[in-house]
Formats: sequence, structure tokens, C-alpha cells
Amino acid sequence: MTRRLVHVGIAFLVIYGLLFFRLEMVQIVGAGNLREHPQNTREITLDFDAPRGVITTADGKTIAQTVAVSGARNRLRQYPYGSLYSHVVGFISAEHGGAGVERSHNNFLAGNELSVRIQDNRDLFVDQARTGQLKLSIRHDVQLVTRAAMAGHLGAAVVLEPTTGSVWGMWSTPNFDPNHLSSHDLQAATTDFKALDSDAVRPLTNRVEYHSSEIGSLFTIVTAAAAIESNLHDLSVSSTTSFPASQRSPAITNQDGSACGGTIKSLMVDACVTGWATIGQEIGREPMQDISNRFGLVGGDPVRTDNALRGDLKPTKLSPSAAHAAVGTAMELTPLQVAHLFATIANNGSRIQPRLVEQVRAHDGSVIHNFEPNVLNQSISKETAAKLLGLLSENVKTGTAQGLALSDVQVAGMSASRFSGSNHLWMVALAPVTRPEVVVAVLLEGDGSDDQETGEANIAAITRRITEAVLRLPNSNLRGS
Amino acid sequence: MNNQRIVELTLLLLAAFITLATVAVAAVAEGTSIEWAVIPYLALLLLLWGISHLSLRKWAPTANGLLFPIAALLQGLGVAFVLRINPDLLLRHLVWSLLATVGFIAVLAGLRDLNQLRKIQTPLGLIGVVCISIPVILKITSGEVNSSPSVQFGSVAIEPSHIGTICLVIFFGAWLASYRSRNTAEYLGEVERFDGDPSRFIPLIGAWLITSVVVIFQNNLSSAFVLVAIFLSMWWVAVGRPIDLVFFLAAVGGSILLTVGSVAEFQDRFDAWADPWSNSQFGEAITRSSFALAGGGLTGSGPGEGAAGWVAGATDQFAFVPIAEELGFMGGAAVLSSYLLLAGVGLRIATAARKEFESLLAIGIAIYFGSQAWAAIAVPLRFLPPGDLSLPFVASNGSALFACTIALALLLRISETVPVIPDRTQILSRISFKSQDTA
Repeated sequence: MTRRLVHVGIAFLVIYGLLFFRLEMVQIVGAGNLREHPQNTREITLDFDAPRGVITTADGKTIAQTVAVSGARNRLRQYPYGSLYSHVVGFISAEHGGAGVERSHNNFLAGNELSVRIQDNRDLFVDQARTGQLKLSIRHDVQLVTRAAMAGHLGAAVVLEPTTGSVWGMWSTPNFDPNHLSSHDLQAATTDFKALDSDAVRPLTNRVEYHSSEIGSLFTIVTAAAAIESNLHDLSVSSTTSFPASQRSPAITNQDGSACGGTIKSLMVDACVTGWATIGQEIGREPMQDISNRFGLVGGDPVRTDNALRGDLKPTKLSPSAAHAAVGTAMELTPLQVAHLFATIANNGSRIQPRLVEQVRAHDGSVIHNFEPNVLNQSISKETAAKLLGLLSENVKTGTAQGLALSDVQVAGMSASRFSGSNHLWMVALAPVTRPEVVVAVLLEGDGSDDQETGEANIAAITRRITEAVLRLPNSNLRGS
Repeated sequence: MNNQRIVELTLLLLAAFITLATVAVAAVAEGTSIEWAVIPYLALLLLLWGISHLSLRKWAPTANGLLFPIAALLQGLGVAFVLRINPDLLLRHLVWSLLATVGFIAVLAGLRDLNQLRKIQTPLGLIGVVCISIPVILKITSGEVNSSPSVQFGSVAIEPSHIGTICLVIFFGAWLASYRSRNTAEYLGEVERFDGDPSRFIPLIGAWLITSVVVIFQNNLSSAFVLVAIFLSMWWVAVGRPIDLVFFLAAVGGSILLTVGSVAEFQDRFDAWADPWSNSQFGEAITRSSFALAGGGLTGSGPGEGAAGWVAGATDQFAFVPIAEELGFMGGAAVLSSYLLLAGVGLRIATAARKEFESLLAIGIAIYFGSQAWAAIAVPLRFLPPGDLSLPFVASNGSALFACTIALALLLRISETVPVIPDRTQILSRISFKSQDTA
């Protein structure tokens, strides 16, 4: 009997050993991953009531602030511009965590970060609530322009400054009013949150950073870069209506069934899919993979601003067939990734991390952290970048992006549409061509009610309007802060 | 008076110190508000411990001195967290503590000989079966499935399944003890031998039926785990036929598989276990538990610095989470070790008990503590699908506290019947005195 009692004792030691092991895995080994998990709202929930710094735009507008109120909780988070910045600042809520910069930079705002907490020597001895203020790269004027242009359309638009990677404007529809979620009326906040969270069009998702869509022929700019690097830019492709199917992949045909061909210049202006497939076959799979890696498009961590949280984006993969890879089959990117790709071309091939937060400041306005432009790599040579810019410029003059042309400034750009089973459209503009100051990427999610021409005209008008307005804005606005 | 009671008193003072320190540290932490009104509650809790200790001195002076302080420490930790997470529960919790102490003293004072329990084994077994089967009755009468069915008395809910488990432990112990003595008699040839006695399957079939009821009608795999663990431990020690063990486990596994396939809620619980990130009904508490535990890290966020009430059920079935969050891996490991020690001491008592019934009862109670704590902690750590099982002694669930305290009193009573090893030096001196006398 005693011997079998020992069996029982050993069995219990073993299962308790499992608990110890698992507890250690969760609390120590895996803790880092769990703390950064996108669904983890513990930290921000803890800081809901705490003092919290303001968030301002690059041109000095306060877009999030904490005010004193009377009641059980004596501080209320307010967003003066409501839904205008919903996808930039996000929100903070008592029970539903947070999003956007409020969440990603919570440690600075709430003063959990040591550099913010200890602002001068006295702070070592006096327990005082110190908070950090954030200055974003977003410009209020650009944001207003973007919202006006996108009015009435479902989709996303992002405005990047190519030389610094600064995000000037970031707009995603549908959106929400963060004031409702940060409300002290917890029941109303929960009702609102539940409604937003269960909405099929996902108003809580910032499409610029978190929504990947097929980019289709936009990818051919990467193919063009590979072709130039492989000295194939003078290769003339014979005119065909379809690229033959191989054992593992289906045939590639032009959308309207027409025949096209020529050098990469004419392939670009005609958006000639079969021609690009032939070029891709010539280049081969290896160089395509290599250049995609250099542009940061595949594998690893997808590109995002410093406010995007880990784990939301799936890494993209290149199609196994070179021809399919060349025309962007199954390549899905976010609007930010698209803008980033074109900004790299606009910035002489030097790839710069997009940034949304420029500075963290102390309570007295002194700068604690300055986030300088972060150069990731030289994706392509200056010469290649210049040739690509020329192709894009030609595309606006005589090709598929003619709707972008402005009277006084030369614009380069590209568009993509006609995806199987989806109604979305892409458009990118870079201006001015000689030395691009701004890159605009727009994604429209059509509901299928518009026909192709109306959709294309709409997106061209939106992109042109944003580009034109941003170029006309006085840059001195930025110095005002 | 004797060592056991002195050990007990010392450890009780330590438990009281830890409890009060936890409350005090949390009270000065930023952002927490602990009312002065909790002080009378804490004083009452300590008073109840003192009364229990005194009644042990009176009615069970040689009982084991480790068991009660461990239970007290766990209960104190539970109170230290309940008064912050949900102060409204405090009054009810203390009323239950009072009731539990009354039951504790009643068992110690009224049950001097455990053989009295063997006389009422059949009624106890029936009570146990009825208490466990209440979900079936509810299911038939109202059609609802409730994982922890309760009977409401005003604002107080009594969950009969907890006390039902204790009754079943006593019944199993008594049944297995008489089965063994009959077997021994057969073996010695005192009664006629009957090969292939089908009665050896009766306890297995009975346990399988009860487990299946819990799985099918409560959809609670944790409770089923506890019942199976208790039964198998007692049965293995008393009978221990490996081939029967295989049959039994296959039958229980079959019940679970059938239920997963046919009952939607059970399926939901399994889904929440497999992928808590995308399951909102049961998954949220699990993901939040993981985040809270990760936030605690090695040394914890410190009492009062965690997001204690963030996990739903943080005072009951997830009571382990806020403790491990605020006291860290070290605090969580200490709590786990406490349960391991509780079960270990119980098993040690079982080896030393003089009668088989007492030995089996001690095993049952030790495994009851050990397995219930294991199952409750296994849910936030994702070893078991979500089940509503209270953490013994820590959870604010009054019925569970009551049942655990009664079980603790029984275990103390068993430990007392273990003869105290006489002091050898005294015997020697007496012998030498006698030898001198004869000389």
C-alpha cells in the first residue's frame, strides 16, 4: 500500500512540476513577447487615471490632453479634434485598453519611462508625477487637406516626406471619435466600443498601418528596378496577349485582352502585364527576391511607423514563379508600405524608416528624446532611382496615371486597379519630379457600385487634390512650433 | 505543551504577519484606496485563526502543526487581495470564514473517532451523489447548463458541489477500506473465495458515471479532473490494478470526447483553451491572465501596483493570477509550494495512519487540496480549458472555503490518531531506573 502511495506522490510532484515550469515560461521566458502583444491592454489600463502628457502635431496643435474634472476619477483625456486624429493618436479607455500613439508611447506619456520620470536631480528624492509630451510629425494642415479629399470615400491615404520619413498626414475611413471611448461613463464607452469593434467595416483599424491589400501592378516598379540593375532596360519584349501558363502557375493575360510589348518604358505607360511577366522571367527569381529584400518588402518585420505595435501584420512573400512575382501576384502591402516604397525611390534609393513621433519632451518643454530620421539602407543606386523616377514621370505624361498631372508642377505617379474578386484601387503620386518633397499613397475600397472608370477618376482626383494642396501649403507652418 | 502546537502558533504568527504586510504595502501604493474599515475585518480573521488554534489545543492537541498555518496563510493572502479587488465581497467572505470556523470546531469537538463516519457512509455517499448531480436536475427542470450551480439564500449563494465532493471522499474511503478487508479475508481463506468478483468494477463504474455527469452537465473539465484525481489516487492505493486503470481512463476519455463533439459550451471552452486570442466569451480572462502574469515577471509589480481586478474572476477561479502578478514568479511559486506542502503533509499522514480507512481518507483529502489547486491554477496557465473551480482557501467563494476547512479538520483529526513517538531518553531512564530497582 505504501509503495503505491509513493506512486501517487510522484505523480503529483510531476504535475506540479509542470505548473512551475509553465509559470516560469509565462512569467519570465515568454514575458517579453506577451508584454508587447497587440492585444495586451494591461499597461494602458493601469495608466487610465494617471496624469498624462499632451500630444501635439508638428505645427503645434494640441490633439490630446488631460484635463481636471470633478468626480470619482479626477482626470479626463480629451481629443479636441475628435475623429480627425482618431487613427493617429488612437484612444485610451478604462476597460478596453488603447490604440495608436496613446498605446505605443504610453510609457512616455504616463511617465513610466525612467528618462521621463527623472527629469532633474530633485526627482530622485521627491515622488512627483512626471509625464512626457509627444510632438508628432503629423501636420495639422496636411491632415485637414487629406480628410477633405477623402470625404465620402472608404479607404486610406498617407502623406510622407521622402527625405526624412516623416508622416505628414495619415487618414483612414471609417473612423471614430476617441472622446467617446475615453469617457468616464464606462457603460456608454463599452457600448460604443462594442459597436465599433463588431462593425464589419472595422472603424477601429487604422488601414494605413494595419490593412494589407493586393498591390498588383504597382509592384512592377520593383520589377523595373530589377530590370535596370540587370541591364535589361533596353530589352524589347515582343507583343503578346498572354504569358503562357507553366506547370505550377496559371497564364497571365492583359486585362482587356489586348496585345502589348516593347521596352520597360512602354510596358510602364501601357501597364502591360504580359510584358512585365516576360521581363520577370528574364530577370529570374533570385534577383527579384534580392531587390524585394532591399526594399524591405518581404520576410522579416514589415515596415511601419514607430507607433505600430508588433504582430498585426503578416509578412509578405514573393510568388515562387518569377513571372508571377514580377507582376505582383499575391503581393499584399499596407498603404504605408506602398508610400514607403515610393519614398525610397523619391529619396535617391535611400530607405528611411517612416516616423510618426518626432520628439518626447519634458513637462517644461525641454527635449528628452529626439527621433532623428533613421536610414535603413541604400536600396538601389542613385542612378537606378533617377531612371525609375523618369519612368513614373512618363507614366503621368502619357501613361495610366495621367489624371495626376498638375499645371505648374511636374508629378510622377502610378496606379493599380482591376483586382480579381476585389474592388479596391491604388494610386501613388510623387512631386515635384526634380526633387520630390512629398509622396502621397491612396487606397480606395470600392463597394462595387462604381464602374471602373468612375473609380479610377475618383482616386486620381483625390490623389491629385492632396498632392496639389500639400505642395501649396507654406512650409513655414512647421517652424511655428 | 507540545511541539506541534508551538510550531503551529509560530507559523500562524508568521502567516498573520505576511497577510498584514501585504495589505499594508498595498495600502501605501500609488493609486489604491484601502478603507480604514477593513481593519475590523482583518482583526476578526486573526481572531478566528486564534480560536481555531485554541480549539486544536483543546480537542486535538497532538494533531499536525503544519496544516493549519498553511491554510491560514493562503486564506490571508486571499483576503488581502479580495479587499482591494472587490471590497463588497469582504463581508460575505468573513461570514463564511466564521461558518467555516464553526464547522472546523464542530468536527474537532464532535468527531473524536473517525469510525463514526464509516457508520454513515451510505447516507454520505448519497448526499455526495445528489450534490454533484444537481446540474442534472437543473438541466431537466429548467434546461439551463450551469458550470457551478448554486442554491440562492438571499444574497448568499451556496454551491453544494464542494461539500458533495468531501462526502464522496469519505464514502470512497469507507467503501474501499471494507472492500480491502473483505479481500484480505478472502485471501486468508476466512471466507469463500470468488474469482472474477464483479464488485471490483463497481467503484470504477460509479466514478466514471459521476465524472461523466460533471463533464456532460456542468461542462467543467476542472471538476472532472479533481474527481478523477481523488478517486484514482485512493483506488490506486487501495486496489491498484493497472489493467482496470487503463479501462477507467479510456472510459473517462470517451465521455470527454463525446461531449466535446456534442455540447456547444464544452466545445467553446475547448476552443478558448486552444486559441484564447480569438475567443471572446472564455478567452478574454485567459489572455488577460497571461498578460497580467507576464506583467508581474520574476519579482512582481509589488502589492497594489498590479491591475488586480482586470481579470474577470480574479477573486475566485483566477485568484492565483493577481497574486502571481503582484508578487511575481517568486510569490506564485511560493503559493504553488504551499499547496504541494499541504498535499505532501496529507500523504505523509496517510502513511502513518493506523487504520486503512483513515489512511485512505487522508489520501483523498490531500489529493482534494492538491488537485483542486492544480486545476484552478492550470486554467490561467492554459493546461486545462476554462472551468469554474475555486482556488482552495484563497478564493472568496464561501462554499469552497467551508468545504476545504471541514476537510482540513478531518485531516487534522486523522493526524492526531497517529501515535506520538515517545521520547526515547525518557524510556531509557525509566528502564535504567527499573534495572536499578531490581538490582
